[in-house]
Amino acid sequence: MNTKDTMQALQLIKYGPIEESLAFNEVARPALQVTDVLIEVRAAAINPIDKSIILGNLQSLLPISFPRTVAYDVSGIVVEKGKDEADFEVGDLVYARVPQTQMGTIANYVAVNANAVSKKPGNISFEEAASIPLAGLTALQSLRYAGTKEGDVVLIHAGSGGVGSFAIQYAKAKGAYVYTTTSTTNVRWVSDLGADRVIDYKTEDYKTIVADVDIVFDTLGKHYTMEAFQVIKEGGMVVSVAGPIDEENSKIFGMVDYKLPDELTNLIDERTASYKFIFMHPNGVHLAEIKALIEDGKIKPIIDKVYPFHESIEAFSHLASGRAKGKIVIQIS
Amino acid sequence: MEELINKIKGSIELSTDAEVYLRSIAKEKELVKGETLIREGYGVSSIYFVTDGCLRSYCIDKKGKEHTLQFGIRNWWISDYIAIHSNELASLTVECLTESSVIEFNAEKLNGILTLFPEYEPFQRNLLERHLVSLQKRILNQLQLTALERYDLFLAQYPDIEHYTRNYHIASYLGITQESLSRVRVEKARQ
Repeated sequence: MNTKDTMQALQLIKYGPIEESLAFNEVARPALQVTDVLIEVRAAAINPIDKSIILGNLQSLLPISFPRTVAYDVSGIVVEKGKDEADFEVGDLVYARVPQTQMGTIANYVAVNANAVSKKPGNISFEEAASIPLAGLTALQSLRYAGTKEGDVVLIHAGSGGVGSFAIQYAKAKGAYVYTTTSTTNVRWVSDLGADRVIDYKTEDYKTIVADVDIVFDTLGKHYTMEAFQVIKEGGMVVSVAGPIDEENSKIFGMVDYKLPDELTNLIDERTASYKFIFMHPNGVHLAEIKALIEDGKIKPIIDKVYPFHESIEAFSHLASGRAKGKIVIQIS
Repeated sequence: MEELINKIKGSIELSTDAEVYLRSIAKEKELVKGETLIREGYGVSSIYFVTDGCLRSYCIDKKGKEHTLQFGIRNWWISDYIAIHSNELASLTVECLTESSVIEFNAEKLNGILTLFPEYEPFQRNLLERHLVSLQKRILNQLQLTALERYDLFLAQYPDIEHYTRNYHIASYLGITQESLSRVRVEKARQ
C-alpha cells in the first residue's frame, strides 16, 4: 500500500470493555463516492452511543463488521470532493455528524456525504465545532419536531449532558421558558446556560415544581418517559430519544405488529398529549442553522476535555465514567 | 465604474487614453452573498473596488477560528496586499457578506498604468497613503482606546454594518470576545 493512501485510525476490533476492544491501526484512506467530501480530520468528538457500540449493546440495531473505525462527530478541512459534489470547495472548514455507513471519525480522514456536512461556525475552534453535531442535531430535531417557539414552557432533563446543555440553549434562543434537571455540582454552570429554573434532582422532586408544560424533552427514558405525562399540559407533546419507539416509526422499521406499551398509551390518552420518538439523522442544513446560532453567540459549545489522538482510549474511559461536564473531544491533528 | 472614474478625476487630471486603459482592464462583477473572491492558501492576482454591498477579509488561526481583518463597503478597496506585493499565496479569505458589486482589477495591469500614464501616480500614492493611515490608526486605537471607544469609531466608519454582520465578525475586528461586545453594547445603550 502506498503510504500516501493510508492513515491512522482508532478501530473497534471486538465487542467488549473499552480497554480491550479498541486499537490504533494503519488503514486505507476512505474511498470517495461522487457526492462525498473527503475531510482531513482536525477534531472528533465522542458520544454515549459510541460506548454502547463498543460494549456490544447495539449489535443487533447497528451491526458492524470488525475492525471498524469509531465515532460520528468531526470537524476539519475539505481536501477532496466527489465529482458530483458542488456545495463545498477544497479548503472549506466544515463539521458533520457522519451517516451510519460512514462512521469512523477518529482517523486522519473521513469521507462524508455532502448532505451531512456544513461549514463550521467561524468563531469557534475545530475542537469546539466537533463537539456539536450529534448532540446538537438530536436537540434541534427533537425540539423542532415539538414546535418549540417563543413563550413555550419546556422541561429538559439532564441539563448538564451533551444533548441537554445544547437543548437548553436552543430552547432559550427560540424564546422558550426552560425548566431543567441536574445534580448539585452542575446547578451553577447549567444555570449560566440560560435555563430559567434549574432543579437539583438530589434535593428537589421536579414533579412538585413542574406542571402543565408545553413540551417535555425526554433524554433519560424508563420511568422519566412515563412521568413526563404527569407534568405535560393537555395537548402538550413529549419528544423522546430514550423511551419506547412510537408506532409510526416502528412501521418504518418494518415492525408490523408493534404497539406502544399499554402504560404509555394510557398516559397519552389521559392527557390527550402526544408522544414521539425522535431518530436523530445527519443533516447539513440543520448544522448550518446551528452555525448561525453559534456565530451569533446564542449557543456555546461546552467542552469537558480535549484529548490528543494517541490518548483516544483514555478519552473513552473518561466518557464511560459519566463524570464529564460537557463534551469529550479528540484532537486528531 | 462611473463613480470610480469620477473619484479619480476629482483628484488628478485623467487623460482620455488613461481612462480608456483603466476601463479596458476593469471587470465589473455581481456577487452573491457568501461568494468568495480570495481564498486563503490560493493564488491572488486581483484587487477589488467595492461599488455596492459589504465584503469581509479574514484569516483563520491554527485552531480553526476566524479573525476579521477588514470590511469592504462602497468605495473601499479590498484584497490581500501581502500576497500581491510578495507574490505569495493568500493568507486571507475575502467573502461577500451581502449581494455585492465590485470592479476587479488585475494588480499587475493596474500597476502598469503608472508606467504608461505617469499622471495616475498621485492618485495611486494617495490611495496607498490613506490605506497606511487607516492601518496605523487601527493599530494605535487598539493600543490606546477602550473597547467602547473603538466600537464607536467602528460604527462611525461603517454605518449600518451591523445589519450585515455577525457578532463574531465585529468582535474579532475589534479584538474582543463576543461577551465583551455584548457588554460594550449595553454600556453604549446606557450613555
